[in-house]
Amino acid sequence: MVPLSQAWTVASYVLTQKYLKGRKRYPLVLMLEPLFRCNLACAGCGKIQYPDHVLNKRLTPQQCFDAVEECGAPMVSIPGGEPLIHQEIDEIVAGLVERKKYIYLCTNALLLKRKLDLFKPSTYLTFSVHMDGLKQEHDTAVCRDGTFDIAVEAIKEAVKRGFRVTTNTTLFNGTNPEHVREFFDEMMTLGVEGMMLSPGYTYEKAPDQQNFLHRDQTKALFKQILSNPKKNWRFNLSPLFLKFLQGDLDFECTPWGSPAYNIFGWQKPCYLLQDGYVKTFKEYLELTDWDHYGNKSDNPKCQDCMVHCGFEPSAVNATFGSLSGFLQTAKATMGA
Amino acid sequence: MPADIKTHPSSGATSLEGAVFTFQSEADRVEAIDKAFDYRGDVTLTLRNEQVEGYMFNRDARATPPRVEVFAKGAAEPRVIPYADITAIAFTGKDTADGKSWAAWVSKKEHERQAEADRIKAEAEAQGHL
Repeated sequence: MVPLSQAWTVASYVLTQKYLKGRKRYPLVLMLEPLFRCNLACAGCGKIQYPDHVLNKRLTPQQCFDAVEECGAPMVSIPGGEPLIHQEIDEIVAGLVERKKYIYLCTNALLLKRKLDLFKPSTYLTFSVHMDGLKQEHDTAVCRDGTFDIAVEAIKEAVKRGFRVTTNTTLFNGTNPEHVREFFDEMMTLGVEGMMLSPGYTYEKAPDQQNFLHRDQTKALFKQILSNPKKNWRFNLSPLFLKFLQGDLDFECTPWGSPAYNIFGWQKPCYLLQDGYVKTFKEYLELTDWDHYGNKSDNPKCQDCMVHCGFEPSAVNATFGSLSGFLQTAKATMGA
Repeated sequence: MPADIKTHPSSGATSLEGAVFTFQSEADRVEAIDKAFDYRGDVTLTLRNEQVEGYMFNRDARATPPRVEVFAKGAAEPRVIPYADITAIAFTGKDTADGKSWAAWVSKKEHERQAEADRIKAEAEAQGHL
């Protein structure tokens, strides 16, 4: 479970945006990509296919702080690329902690153990470690043997030192539900705070185009995995998002809920699609043709998407959008 | 359709790597710019008085005037170029998204996959990223 202070911050932020400020569109999590360079080349990833001179570019700490201030979201996810490659990642994290932002630093953990000394444990900082399954599945997904073992060692060390640690798992077609359940058991024994799950997105530029899930496959897979959850499993996700993944609830995408900022600017319309960039967050909200995106639109790029960054904000919005949504969340949280 | 003059073979069946587009009409120019925007490699833009090689990361056909944004090789800041100044586009850089399909990865022999994984690991180590 997330700390009460974080839950309170997010709840009060959402209620303020919705009811006091009356904003139709507001961000929940800023996806801050300080670089695209990675030290892995996973077959399911469409984020790293750029020329070298682009991969060598970095956001400066000040650019990161400016984007965070401009966006105003209470949570900041730092994906990439591999953020721990960034030479100033410690300065970026320290600056965001100072601004009281809840940070999820997404990492494959290959450098985590070595770089832990750069960071101080904080309620505001969570290492979100990329783990795509048990040893064999994970090493296959990231196309390098030995990666799972390195990540497990890093998780243990980070937990031992008092850091908040979660895992983030992307599931693709052909995933064995029983193996995923065993994987959850193993992650719980490591002492992680919670697990994040998402179906993969069919990046046009990802080398792996055959193993992404279509919508009905996604629901069937997650139903098999989650319909009989063990009591000790902890997820770092909204209960309503977990129900959505199993097909028990339907949401429309909320692409502005997780806006992305990187070396190119504010990415339209979301973290996954690249339909262009704008200079300011205000332009992002005002100039994006929102009707052109989401499952109900005619955009083929959105039809199979059930990815976390688009639908977790929808689930949070549903929780705070009505009394029934709130009660539904409470009921799902208690496992009723 | 823009004229597609292949100067050398593409590295893949669908890649535009090596293609050169010249324009017969404004529609040709817009179409070629869209392809360049979608391309995950450097392109060379022929302008009225110069050539610019770099990565085209943005295009805005609705701006006044319509424009693209390019990170030229070695430049810290992006360059803004009006559509109207572009007279040809060559897909000169390696298509970084091409030739790496999952099917290709699976179809490789085990020792080839291992060699590729080792090469990527060695490159990351050489750059100080591991």
